[in-house]
Amino acid sequence: MTLTEDDTIDIFVGTNIGSFKHIKYHIDSANNNKKCIENLVDTKTLQKNDGITCMVWGNPGQTEILLAKKNQQIQVYDTLQGFTKSYTADFGTGHVVGLGRFKRKLVAALSSGVVKIWSKKQEDLMQVGKLDCMKFCGEDSTLFATGGEENDLHVWRVGVNEPEFVAKNLPQDWLQLRRPVWVSGLTFMPGSEGRLLAACSRHGYVRLYDSRAQRRPVVNVDFTMAATCITPSFDERQVLVGFGRGQLHQVDLRNSRPDKGFKGCAGAVTDIEAVKHSKLVVSTSLDRHVRVHNYETKELVYKQYLVSKLSCVLVQTETSTPLQKEAKIKEETEAEAKEQIPDDMDQLFDDMETIGEKSRKKKLPAEHIEAKRQKPSTDGSTEPEQEDAIFNLLRSTEKQKKKREKKKKEKKAKSVFHNA
Amino acid sequence: MARGKDKKKRKLEKKQEGDDVPKKIPHTLESLREKDETMLANTEAEEQEEAQKDLELDDLSSYYENTYEPKVLITYSDNPHSKTRIFGKELARMIPNSISRYRQRSSVKRIVQSGIREGISDVIIINENQKQPNGFLLIHLPDGPTAHFRLSSCKITPELKKDHKEITTHRPEVVLNNFSTRLGMTVGRMLGALFHYEPQFRGRRVVTFHNQRDYIFFRHHRYEFTKDGKRAKLLELGPRFTLKLMSLQQGTFDSKHGDYEWIIAGRRHQLETSRRKFFL
Repeated sequence: MTLTEDDTIDIFVGTNIGSFKHIKYHIDSANNNKKCIENLVDTKTLQKNDGITCMVWGNPGQTEILLAKKNQQIQVYDTLQGFTKSYTADFGTGHVVGLGRFKRKLVAALSSGVVKIWSKKQEDLMQVGKLDCMKFCGEDSTLFATGGEENDLHVWRVGVNEPEFVAKNLPQDWLQLRRPVWVSGLTFMPGSEGRLLAACSRHGYVRLYDSRAQRRPVVNVDFTMAATCITPSFDERQVLVGFGRGQLHQVDLRNSRPDKGFKGCAGAVTDIEAVKHSKLVVSTSLDRHVRVHNYETKELVYKQYLVSKLSCVLVQTETSTPLQKEAKIKEETEAEAKEQIPDDMDQLFDDMETIGEKSRKKKLPAEHIEAKRQKPSTDGSTEPEQEDAIFNLLRSTEKQKKKREKKKKEKKAKSVFHNA
Repeated sequence: MARGKDKKKRKLEKKQEGDDVPKKIPHTLESLREKDETMLANTEAEEQEEAQKDLELDDLSSYYENTYEPKVLITYSDNPHSKTRIFGKELARMIPNSISRYRQRSSVKRIVQSGIREGISDVIIINENQKQPNGFLLIHLPDGPTAHFRLSSCKITPELKKDHKEITTHRPEVVLNNFSTRLGMTVGRMLGALFHYEPQFRGRRVVTFHNQRDYIFFRHHRYEFTKDGKRAKLLELGPRFTLKLMSLQQGTFDSKHGDYEWIIAGRRHQLETSRRKFFL
C-alpha cells in the first residue's frame, strides 16, 4: 500500500491570470501526460484582477488551501469539496502577500502593511510597514514573520502588538555606505521551533537569523542577482533559493555558500516546494512552466507548459486527492462493481494489491478495507477464523451457482421467445 | 562530377513529369522546426481557450481593445553619433505620434517615471556602440513588459539611397509575420502596439516585422496595386533593421531587481538544444 501511495504526488499551481490547477505527478515519469492536469477554476469566468498572489495550506492535514487573489478576495478550497468559503480583505490597499491559520482564526497580510486577524468575536488590525511577504511558522502556529522593501524581518506573535524579534541590518560596508534592505522571501527553518529564520532579498543576499542569539544575521551569503523565493531544503541549515533571472540554487548556510544549482528555467522562479519523501524539487516559473528536479542528481525530471504565468505552487504530501474526472469515473465503476456479484476470481484479484486503482480502495468505507486486509493473513492463523472463512466461501459459491442457473434459465427463455 | 550529372538527370525527369506533379515542400530549418508546446496551433481546444484568456488579460490588452492612442518616446544612449541620431529620427517619422529626444544623462528608470507622468505609452531606447546602433530596448508603460533586443544590420535611408522625405505622415499598416509561440506572440503584440490601431490606407504605407529563425526583420514599404489588382508593387522606404530578442521582463525596466519572463543570457547551451529549435 505504501508503494502505491508514493507513486503519485499532487501539485497545486496558481497563476497570474487566476487559473488554479491540479497536477497528479507520477514519480515514474513515463506515466505523466496531459490527462494528469486539471483546471479547478473555469477559465472563461476569469476577470482582470483574479490573479492568485498567495497560496498556503489551511490545515496540517493538507486538505484545505487558502487562496488570495489580486482583488483582495480570499478563498478557501477544500481538495475534496471544492471552493467552500470566501472572505474579502478590503481593510487596506494592495494585494494579499501572506495568509495563515491560527487555531480557527484567519490571518491575512496586505502589501501596504496591514495584518488582519479574523475571529468570530473580534477583528484585530496591525500596522507593520510595507510588506513583500508574510509567513506563518509551521511548528509554533502563534508565530509569524513579515518583511518587505526597506522593512527588515520582524517576528510577531498573534495577539501581541509588539514584535517578538526585529532584525538588524549588517554594519555599513567598506565604503561606509548603508546596505539596502528588501526582504522578498522568508521561511522558518524546520526543527527549530521558530527560532531560526532564513530570508532572501531582491538585493541579492540570503541571510539566516537566530532570534535567540543576536539581532544581526548569523550567516550572510551574497549573490549578484535578485532572489525571489526561499524554501527550506532537505537537510537542516540548507535552503533552496529562486532568482529573478531564472536560477534555482541550494544555499548551504553552514558553509555560507551556494552548493547546488538546478538548471532549466528560462524565466524568474516564483515559488519552490521540496518534496521530502521522494527527494524532488518542484518549482514554478514566469516562463509558464512547472518543473520537477531530482534533488540528488540535479536532473530535470519533468517539465510542463501550463499556458499562463505561474505564481505559486503547493505540494500535497500528507494525503492525496484524486483528479475530478477520475473521481467521477471511479464512482461509476464502483456503483457497477457493487451491483455485480463477485466471482471467486474477482475476490482473488480484489485481495491482491492493485497499483493503478488505489483511490477506489480509499473511497470504500474503512471497515471494509480492514476486513479485506485481514483475509490474506488468515491462512496461517487461528482455526475458528479459518473455519468461518471456509463456511463463508462455501455459502457464497452456492449462492453464485444458484444465480448462474437463474441467469441461464432466463437466457434460454429469451432465446425461445426470439425463436418464436 | 557525378552529382552534377545527377542534377541534369533529375531536371530532365522533372520536365518529363510536367506541371501536374505538386511541388514538394523543401526541407528547411523552418519546415523541420522542432515542435514547441507553447505554439497556439499545436494545443488542444481547452488550452487554446485559456491562452486566449491569458492574452485578453495581459498588460497589452488595453491597446488591442483600442482604448488609447499609442504615444511613443524615442531616445538614445548618451552622446549618440550621427547614424544613430538619423536612425532615431527616421523611426520617429515612421511611427505616428512619436517624439525623439536626447537622453540628457537621464536614467532609464527616471525616463520611465516621467513617461508615465506624461502619458506616454511606449519608450524606445536605442543603444550605440562604435558609432553603430546595436541595442533596442522597448518598454511598454505603465506596467511593462520590457523587451531588450539586439539590433543589427541597421540601414538608414541615405545608405539605401532613399530620401526620408518619402515617408509620409499617414498612419501605416502593420504586418506581423510568424510570431507563433507564446513568447513570440507577446513580442509581436508589443511591436504592434507601437503603431496606431487604425491605419490610414490612403498613405499605402506598410511596416513589416517578419520573424524568421528568431530574427525579426523590419522593412518599410509603400505599395501600389497593379491595374488588374492582383499584385502589389512595393517600394522600399527605409530604414531597415534586424532585431533579436535577448530578454523579456515583467514590469518596467529593472534589470537588477526585476523578474524576467524569458532571458537567454547565461543559458544559451541549455536552451538552444538544436538548430531547429526556435523561441519566437
